[in-house]
Amino acid sequence: MSYCVNCGVKLEESLKKCPLCNTPVYHPIETKDTEHIPPYAKEKGEVGIVRKTDQVILISVFIICTAVGCGLLNLLVFQQGMWSIYVIGLCCILWIFFIPVMIYQKLPFVLMIFFDGAAVASYCAFIAYRYDGWDWYIGIALPIIGMAVLFITLIGFLYQRVSKSILFTAVTVVLGIGMFCTGIDLCIRYYLTGTIGIAWSAIVLTCSIIIAITLITIMRISRLREEVRKRMHI
Amino acid sequence: MSKKKQWYKLDLSANVYPTLQRKQFSSVYRISVTLTEKIKPQFLQLALEKTLPRFPNMKVAMRKGVFWRYLEPNENPIPKIQPDICNPCMPMHMKGNNRYLLRIYYYDRQISLEAFHSLADGYGGLVFLKTLAAVYLQTQGISIPNDYGVLNIDEEADPGELEDAYIKYANSKVLPARSQGKAYRIRSTKEPFYTLNVISGNMRVEDLKTVSKGYKVTITEYLNSVLLYALLQKQKSDKVRKEKPVKIAMPVDLRRLFPSNTLRNFITMIYPGIDPRLGEYTFEEILKQTHHFMRYYINDKFLNADITTNAYTQQNIWVRVVPLFIKDFVVRQFYIKVQDKQSTAGLTNLGIVETPEEMKGYIERFDVLMGQPFSPRTNCAVISFQGVTTINFASSIVESDVERYFFRKLVEDGVPVTIRSNRK
Repeated sequence: MSYCVNCGVKLEESLKKCPLCNTPVYHPIETKDTEHIPPYAKEKGEVGIVRKTDQVILISVFIICTAVGCGLLNLLVFQQGMWSIYVIGLCCILWIFFIPVMIYQKLPFVLMIFFDGAAVASYCAFIAYRYDGWDWYIGIALPIIGMAVLFITLIGFLYQRVSKSILFTAVTVVLGIGMFCTGIDLCIRYYLTGTIGIAWSAIVLTCSIIIAITLITIMRISRLREEVRKRMHI
Repeated sequence: MSKKKQWYKLDLSANVYPTLQRKQFSSVYRISVTLTEKIKPQFLQLALEKTLPRFPNMKVAMRKGVFWRYLEPNENPIPKIQPDICNPCMPMHMKGNNRYLLRIYYYDRQISLEAFHSLADGYGGLVFLKTLAAVYLQTQGISIPNDYGVLNIDEEADPGELEDAYIKYANSKVLPARSQGKAYRIRSTKEPFYTLNVISGNMRVEDLKTVSKGYKVTITEYLNSVLLYALLQKQKSDKVRKEKPVKIAMPVDLRRLFPSNTLRNFITMIYPGIDPRLGEYTFEEILKQTHHFMRYYINDKFLNADITTNAYTQQNIWVRVVPLFIKDFVVRQFYIKVQDKQSTAGLTNLGIVETPEEMKGYIERFDVLMGQPFSPRTNCAVISFQGVTTINFASSIVESDVERYFFRKLVEDGVPVTIRSNRK
């Protein structure tokens, strides 16, 4: 066994440096005992994922019962039109929204949002097919769904990779809402008039830019940040 | 006749820990015993299967009610023992591990118990581990009597072992304020998730006794003072703009003051500290301050008032009717904003571990780890066995400055220390 020349403590055999001051262990005449077992295990443990089986079963049963129940009602009692198809479609969307999050907890966030977007797009496609509305589907529904997926992914990416602070997240969400509304406005205007331009979304965008600049200012100036924290503390 | 399932209300301390539960944090502590022979896993599993049913407070699952959480007997298969890992006290999910809130690890000659703090405090955990170790030795034909905290696994648990001792004794007429004021918080670099750095120092109890006696204080008072000294040094080296008081959160085992043999939680916190704003403190002055603080606060009157404050809140009808999710939010905020900020580090001393004479020859040492701290800081846990004191520092921060100041001070005072660590 060696002593740390800095701290004066005796060091256990497996240590290559002093854990207190990081001074390397140097003992010119000591031969290392190869049989020595280190006092701590080497393998790193990982917390297992807890599957939310009970909730998955409960939500699945609820959604399936709703879908089947509506289907039967449509078939046997309220037979006018195929209204239950929409409810069943909605149930499928809800299932895709909730269940993968609970079962495949390691699924990347981007992939989950993509699945959600695909489910909503398929549902809209079905409605477009039923009412021969491919025009609005391609002109409005698909771009809006695409934008929603893009903005949510972007906000999620910034939250995970850049900063998890409340203020930064608020800035990205506010700006995201502003840009999303502008996108919706652009799509609708282009679809209806064939021209590119914005109207109502200009107000939303202006408001969101004002809010975002205010939040960024608070973020940048620590005195202001402290003041807000003080006044808003719970 | 079918036996009615006995469920338990969480005790005063136990109620706080689940509210702090996160994916990345659980209030888990670890107590280990190192034997003289390599652990045989098949015998250890057998011993666990025999021992766990004897401890109804440990063989439980935590459930959520509308207003409070509660513990109910866990009928799932006994958890499997696992090979030890280098990152102890990992978070513990309430629904994982067959809903058991404890884990048993083995490594070379060491058996480790990791338990969620809502089940038992250090004393309860130690009794469980001692009994498990005794049963493990018994399965190999070694005769160990049921004494010195080794319980008879063929007996039913005594009702006293499962009582909520806080409610039994909290009857003070005075309710002291909860907040102790803010304390200095260590400036540090956070380690990546799941990393718990352990630095363990071994020394002879006799050496500690000699030094403490020289200062005319007890060993606990001396170790508290050394830790306060180390924290003061750390604050000085951090070059903080505004100095703050340095305080230690120290759990006191209330069984010493109130006759109870409960194996659940029965501790309360005291906060010995030094305020450097009052001036420069020498080590002798720190010792004096700590010594008088302990003498003044550690008595049944003061500590009764302390637990009564908590009991009063829990029993208040207006608090009781608030739904659990609101209680969780409020308690968590209180912990984050007040409780966590009123101490710089934690120190617990489990004292000298007593075992039956027949068992002593088979045990080399005991270790205790306070587990992952809620905020970046270092926690210190002390335990003594067979004339050797083990001091384990556990932290999730990169820097080991506090540990360095602490152990260097011991060496300076003439206490030889042997260090080991899981740091790479």
